[in-house]
Amino acid sequence: MKRQLFLRATAAAGMAACWRPTPAAGRLRIGLTAVILADEAAFLARWAAYLGPRLGSEVAFLSRDEYQRLHDMLNAGQIDALWTCGYPYVRFRKQLHLLAVPLYQGQPTYQSYLIRHKGDPSIRGWPDVRGKVFAYSDPLSNSGWLVAQGELAKVNIRPHDFKRTFFAHGHSHVAEAVAARLADAGSIDGYVWETMRLQGMPAAAQTEVIWKSMHHGFPPLVTASDGWGQPARALQATLLQMANDAEGRALLKELNLDGFIAGSFADFESIYRLACSVPGSGVEAS
Amino acid sequence: MFFERLPYRLQIPLGLAGAVVIAALLVTVVSARIGAHQARQGVIATAGRAMVLLAAQSRSLLAADDTWRVFTLLRNTAALLPGAAADQSRAAILDTQGTVVAASMPGMLPTGSTVLGQRVRGQTLPAPAAVVAPRQWDRADGGMTLVEPVRSDDGQLQGFVYVEIDAGAFVPDWAALSRPALIGVLLAVLLLVPVGWLVGRRMMRPLAIVAQCIVRVGREDPQALLTLVPRTRNPELALISHAVERLIAETQVRQQAELRALSAERMAAVGRLTAAVAHEINNPLGGLLNAARTLRVHGDNPAARAQTLGLLERGLQQIRSTVAALVPQVRIEDRPLEANDLADVVTLVLPMAARWRIDLRSDTDLSALPRVPSSVLRQVMLNLLMNALKAAGEDGRVRAMLSADASEVRFVVGNSGERLASGGLEARLAAESGTDPAGFGLWVCREIATQFGGGFAAADSDEFATQLMFWIPNRERHEVPAAD
Repeated sequence: MKRQLFLRATAAAGMAACWRPTPAAGRLRIGLTAVILADEAAFLARWAAYLGPRLGSEVAFLSRDEYQRLHDMLNAGQIDALWTCGYPYVRFRKQLHLLAVPLYQGQPTYQSYLIRHKGDPSIRGWPDVRGKVFAYSDPLSNSGWLVAQGELAKVNIRPHDFKRTFFAHGHSHVAEAVAARLADAGSIDGYVWETMRLQGMPAAAQTEVIWKSMHHGFPPLVTASDGWGQPARALQATLLQMANDAEGRALLKELNLDGFIAGSFADFESIYRLACSVPGSGVEAS
Repeated sequence: MFFERLPYRLQIPLGLAGAVVIAALLVTVVSARIGAHQARQGVIATAGRAMVLLAAQSRSLLAADDTWRVFTLLRNTAALLPGAAADQSRAAILDTQGTVVAASMPGMLPTGSTVLGQRVRGQTLPAPAAVVAPRQWDRADGGMTLVEPVRSDDGQLQGFVYVEIDAGAFVPDWAALSRPALIGVLLAVLLLVPVGWLVGRRMMRPLAIVAQCIVRVGREDPQALLTLVPRTRNPELALISHAVERLIAETQVRQQAELRALSAERMAAVGRLTAAVAHEINNPLGGLLNAARTLRVHGDNPAARAQTLGLLERGLQQIRSTVAALVPQVRIEDRPLEANDLADVVTLVLPMAARWRIDLRSDTDLSALPRVPSSVLRQVMLNLLMNALKAAGEDGRVRAMLSADASEVRFVVGNSGERLASGGLEARLAAESGTDPAGFGLWVCREIATQFGGGFAAADSDEFATQLMFWIPNRERHEVPAAD
């Protein structure tokens, strides 16, 4: 039960949803990360059963473990909605339309954490990761890559200053890599790590947080800019109303969330500024 | 040994169980030795198969430099390595420089650490360029290191599969190896103990019956015992049964022989008793007949008549006492011994002494009044004098001395015949008590001495070759043991 709750929370952090009614298919396809989908079939089935009658359409979930791949699918029309991260939202904002922003602990924000193996005294902050093995989550993750790039730049640590870096393809994998000492430290979504700790998962118990970032906009649900229409508005309305009925609240509780708001680009202003400051982020100040 | 004291019905099942246990242990030891040898080869073969799998699966991951997916591959595959469950083996994927991309146990093979060309776990490994084919090294600590290159389809080196197996993984699992044998032993014992008990009981039943028969031999009717001896087709048991039957038959014969011997002994005893009675009565009869002839010739002389009649009366009284002594439980009322009793006895044997021209002399020394019964002492004195006369032979010499003091009455007789020492007297007494009724007199003397609490022995003498001494306490009543 605890693991299910964690995975649902992880789904909320990494899931991308897209809705583009396709008369031929006749169903709504929402993109999610593969790891979460693999273990949360029952929850996603319940969520699909909740959304379907309200949207008048069958709902299906698709999984991939890389953000870029999911955005490619959204751009290609292979999925109709996507639960993505704030960083790709600001990076690809011209091709995307904001659908909803989750509320975590009453706010549409979260933090990025720097974690280490529990009790490892060799790493006490960003300056200490020099010469270490470092784990990122995904190249398009705000908390799992972009925030770390901004902090590393502050302490003048460049990529070749590490012994090794790698992407773990998921925030929970970052925790597992650090817990197994595959990596000495890692950058992780604070919402995911806190949920893992809350559920007593071993990877969280064997790691500890040594730094927390400022609050950034919570990973939003988006749709393609050309896919914004009545069905998208219906999906948005349904999401925004989930906190108002018992079944919706139960699903939100399983996601460890409080609800959804419509949100705006302003909620991701901090990520935008950070991305603008990081070379190679693909975001330039306009 | 305790085991040998157990009955066969326990020895047999225990012996069977012990034999099974020993056999199983020996088989287990041999199997374990063979298994230990095969286990090492099996460990190496298993590791080799796991390395082939890792090499095939890691190609694309090495090409993508995807540490996490390499780690998940190792995490899911390392369980195939022998001893992985006990952390006795680990695997890693190395890049072309021999550096760890990821390991199944990152704590022991840290990410980014160089392995090839370095000294690891006491083993110096070759540089990456030197590893062109699968290789393995036996480490000094008993462990093993294996390296296999990972190549693309066109033969380009992409990295290496690296495996470490600690010595513990090669140690045979003795518990697992011996478990089947122990289970077999347990089952065998559970089966063989009751079966062995039944078999032992069945085997031992005839032996137990035979043993009971042997115990009862000599105490119960042989014919009844013969019916109990088991009849069996087992050759060993049949042999025992036949032996027991022979024992019973021989015992029966021996018992019958003993009964006959006992009867003969009783008859012999009766004969000896009769002879003794005849001897004791016949001894004074010669003197009495002589006295009767004296009375007939000199009966007119009052003094001679009175003396002869006294002699006749005392002689008859002696016979009466002798006959009375043969009746058990009869207490003889007898007069005390007097000095004349010796003279009477001497008178009775004088014809014998005269016939053989023997110098017979007697004397008395009665410092105290004798209180012993006269008939008994007369019988003793008569026996010893006649024995001495026989021993002295023609022209011999015999001396008799009757003495008495406050403590005992003593009668000593010496003769000039053959020397008879103490040991010789005992031998003569033993012979006379058994098979020589003719010398019964000495045996009677010894028996009387014993009954009256005195003694009878040969005494050393400078004058006579043989000197016999008889003595009994000088008191009126003696404890006379009841006759059998």
